[in-house]
Amino acid sequence: MTTPQTTETAGLTAPPEEIKAVPVRHPGRWLAAAVVLVLAAMFVHTLLTNPRFGWDVIGSYLFSRRVLAGLAITILLTVVAMAMGILLGVILAVMRLSANPLLSGTSWVYIWFFRGTPVLVQLLFWFNLAFLYPRISLGLPFGPSFLHANANSLITPLAAAILGLGLNEGAYMAEIVRAGILSVDHGQVDAAQALGMSRTLTMRRIVLPQAMRVIIPPTGNETISMLKTSSLASVITVTELLYSVQLIYAVNFKTIPLLIVASIWYLILTSVLTAGQYYIERHYARGAARELPPTPWQRIRRILFTVHAPLPAPPAQHRDES
Amino acid sequence: MVSSIAAQVPAAVKATGTLTVAADATYAPNEFIGPDGHTVVGMDADLATAIGQVLGLKINMVNATFDTIIPGLVSGKYDLGMSSFTDTKARQQTVDFVTYFSAGTSFYGKTSGPGIASLAGLCGHKVAVEKGTTQAADAQAQAAKCNSASNPVTVEIFNDQNAVNLALSSGRADVAMADSPVAAYQVKQSNGTFKLSGREYGTAPYGIAIPKNNGMAKPIQAAVEHLMADGTYMKILDKWGIQAGAIPTPKINGATS
Repeated sequence: MTTPQTTETAGLTAPPEEIKAVPVRHPGRWLAAAVVLVLAAMFVHTLLTNPRFGWDVIGSYLFSRRVLAGLAITILLTVVAMAMGILLGVILAVMRLSANPLLSGTSWVYIWFFRGTPVLVQLLFWFNLAFLYPRISLGLPFGPSFLHANANSLITPLAAAILGLGLNEGAYMAEIVRAGILSVDHGQVDAAQALGMSRTLTMRRIVLPQAMRVIIPPTGNETISMLKTSSLASVITVTELLYSVQLIYAVNFKTIPLLIVASIWYLILTSVLTAGQYYIERHYARGAARELPPTPWQRIRRILFTVHAPLPAPPAQHRDES
Repeated sequence: MVSSIAAQVPAAVKATGTLTVAADATYAPNEFIGPDGHTVVGMDADLATAIGQVLGLKINMVNATFDTIIPGLVSGKYDLGMSSFTDTKARQQTVDFVTYFSAGTSFYGKTSGPGIASLAGLCGHKVAVEKGTTQAADAQAQAAKCNSASNPVTVEIFNDQNAVNLALSSGRADVAMADSPVAAYQVKQSNGTFKLSGREYGTAPYGIAIPKNNGMAKPIQAAVEHLMADGTYMKILDKWGIQAGAIPTPKINGATS
């Protein structure tokens, strides 16, 4: 006759087996990873072995004076056109949401016209403005004028590029800012009015800062896009990166290697802008979540430099003693 | 088709039965887009068709930006380039040429503008040229000479001849440079807006651009000789009013500078 105690004691003297936990197998992931690795290896192989890439030509032109000068103009165009676009965009968006029908109508017409014509056509128009108005003057409407200037001297190719790109960008930014403003809960405006804040103060201190979370990602997108759109200025003889490269290969016929030089620089700049956008988004995400996710640099630091405490020893196996 | 000449065409080209000929169709009367809106017409187009008939090959004429044609020949995208190319020693390092015409460079500008007569006269003015042309190279070389003095030249380099003409009309440039037959034609078409100024300089041969060492140079030269002998060549030049540029015999790689 087995007594319950005997069974209990017998069960308690043998130590419990360690659980052999096996991670879930993902054979599909391994197969996909292998395919990707093989394709990547093939791509790197052709990059290195196809002589038509002309890596020696690429190397000799990557840091040449003309290419770097073109790069500087591209950066200048991007920064100035985006600054103009963002400023115009905020003004136009606020006008669009205004109660005054003339202001919102003007804003609508501006957005309609500058989104409705191709950027290239706008650039050509500003460049050839002197065809319509050889002289530009400042004065009273329908009255005498005080200052005159020759349109071609006043609007240099660079100025035409900035005008064309900046005014066009203003129209697109206006819609992005308007979306951001609409995304702020109307309760915020009600609360601000209850506190006696004026409409301008409400917009400036309450609505716009909260709208930034929705405005930043598309704005970052537009900036990165503007970096590439600035290459359209090559059609109006602005010596930005693409035009500088085109002038070089028009003479030495090394079209592909030089286009790769330009592409490398565009990629580098885009990477810098993408990283910048990430950190600006984190800044404006404060208060939206309890704790922000770690940045890539914080993650690297955590993996490399964190010291783990040693694991405790498994519990003693002598429960039958007492 | 002239069988003795057609037999010289390499087998690889004969197998396809077509020659793709590239031209920058903004250069009337040599190559421009016809009234139907997409066919390339002009002296080069007519000459290409005649050469194709002699060789027994079909001609497919395509429009391409001037500075992309020679790289296109090197990469095999096009078989021939007939776009008023000046045969120069520098270009002969990349492609072969068969000469077929002779032209210089002329200056033209607005009738009311300064009449610039020579390269030296460019100092202190703005000149518009097309990208990749000998005129672009000449203007830039002159700019280097002028810029050392107190009279700088602004050289504006555009994608095509239409943009050059627009820059001239809007006053962006004081003068434009182009091949003489083209400049003369633009001035005639402008009905008094433009005028030719000074005298043409740098007379040099036009060449049909052919990829190096693909065996087409000799058959093309023979075909052009045949067209000169049977009068088709002069008929084409007369049609476009540019008979002044005719040459007696075609040469392979006949660059003079």
